[in-house]
Amino acid sequence: MASLTAKDRVMRFLNGETVDRPPIFSGMGNVIKPVLDKYGINFAKVHRDPELMARAAGGMYREFGFECAVVPFDLGVEAEVLGAKMNFYDDVEGLLYPTVKEKSVKNADDVRIPADLEHAGRLPVVVGAIKALRRELGPDVAIGTYVLGPFTLAGQVKELDALYEESFLEPEKTGKLLEKLSDFIIRTFRIYQDAGADYFTLREMGGTSDVMSPRSFKSLIKPHLQRILSEMPHPSILHICGDTNAIITDMAECGADAVSVDHKNCLAETRQKLGPKAIILGNFDPIKVLHKGAAKDVGPAVIESLKGGANAVWPGCDLWPEVPKENMEALMKALKEFKLTVA
Amino acid sequence: MRLVQVAGWLGSGKTTLIIALSKGLSRKGVKVAILVNEIGAIPVDGRVIQDYGLTVKDIGGGCICCQMAGSMMKTLRLLREGPDPDIVILEPTGIAVPHAVKEMVLSVATSGEMTLGPTIVLFDTTRAAKLLSYETLQGVITTQLKDADIIALSKSDAIADVDFAHAGESVRVINPRAQIVRLSVSNGEGMAELTQAVEGMAVQA
Repeated sequence: MASLTAKDRVMRFLNGETVDRPPIFSGMGNVIKPVLDKYGINFAKVHRDPELMARAAGGMYREFGFECAVVPFDLGVEAEVLGAKMNFYDDVEGLLYPTVKEKSVKNADDVRIPADLEHAGRLPVVVGAIKALRRELGPDVAIGTYVLGPFTLAGQVKELDALYEESFLEPEKTGKLLEKLSDFIIRTFRIYQDAGADYFTLREMGGTSDVMSPRSFKSLIKPHLQRILSEMPHPSILHICGDTNAIITDMAECGADAVSVDHKNCLAETRQKLGPKAIILGNFDPIKVLHKGAAKDVGPAVIESLKGGANAVWPGCDLWPEVPKENMEALMKALKEFKLTVA
Repeated sequence: MRLVQVAGWLGSGKTTLIIALSKGLSRKGVKVAILVNEIGAIPVDGRVIQDYGLTVKDIGGGCICCQMAGSMMKTLRLLREGPDPDIVILEPTGIAVPHAVKEMVLSVATSGEMTLGPTIVLFDTTRAAKLLSYETLQGVITTQLKDADIIALSKSDAIADVDFAHAGESVRVINPRAQIVRLSVSNGEGMAELTQAVEGMAVQA
């Protein structure tokens, strides 16, 4: 096989084609402090400036050879477009991810998708970052992006107690809300695609079996995920946190090209349920392994995921920015040296 | 530092309890820090913070398991180097489940940095039947209750004794080992017990 660029490897892999080795990438936030510090980028500002965002995301490839550049980094972009007020912690010492300070929705009628969506909220920042990455790294690196799933997004824009109670007492009302949010999610993904993103992760953390019964996931959330995945751009990945083996078959039926699981999943069980052809991404613990772990232990920990049944190793969630440089280097070294026969 | 988690469904009275506990502990000379996901969510005004010597820190947003874990690590370090509180009360908001938060805390805290106090889960007795009957809610509520070291049956002054007894029986079935405390912040019932537990209850990791 001719030598593959990082981009070739990721795109061939996600399209189910033969690759020389598993790609080393992520579909979720992965900017780390060694990159931010080297480039002199302030964390609070990186979420609101397209050039800074692109520089930080591209830095993972430039500095470490991480085989992707993913934007955005926080979980508030969508909620903000829909009217939620955000706190960016400009005046706080340390790294704090933005929070939703004030929610904006009580029911489906309150969801107003801006007519000029591409220029609403921080979408121009993410679009600008994708375009900048395309210009600077387009041929070499796959550009990833993500959007929250409809139930997770509903929890960002509507009070959670009201959302849960309504989903039980008046599920048709919740259904309408999720329907509208799904429209928004599909349009957002298409905007990112038009800007030049290569692959797309749908993050439905609210569907985790830690808080939602498998039956509720199947009836309340799955139909909307199926619709989104049938209309959004591809290749696509569906990610849900927690131990998702009780819903993994339902997840696979949603129609994404790959599923992503976190460290609480038993990969062997996931593989057994989904069969040999499914593309499974996961699942090392980004805090315990990559942030807190010793560099010498990073390699063995991530190789476990490949041996356990993942087709490619990627972190179970966003990388915490304070990952030490040597741990990131250990990750890259271990995975590049791993020999795996990939069908 | 000793870390205590106060969890429970929205509207169960967590914030009211945290403020009351903090004031009570401060009056005894105990230094208290409160950690929340969004500082606007807990109405502790500047005057209360100053008068009672409280530290209130925001641990920011993000995916509960990972971004919060990272913030937690840094915040605990800053607290130890700075105000060095005796008790840190964590109120994770949203749909965080206590055992996940506990695992996260244990994974991020360096040995010797802190000890683990009880996980107190509040259960709103005035909505007991509702909370346990909604399928979409039941998973969260029962998971929270199962994770508790102490279940505080809140708003005990607002409910008839027979209904209160039913609520107590329901939670006992879900968690046979937890200590159950009858709580009313407004009339002080249960506060002495909870304060004592916060200060000294031994818990298993």
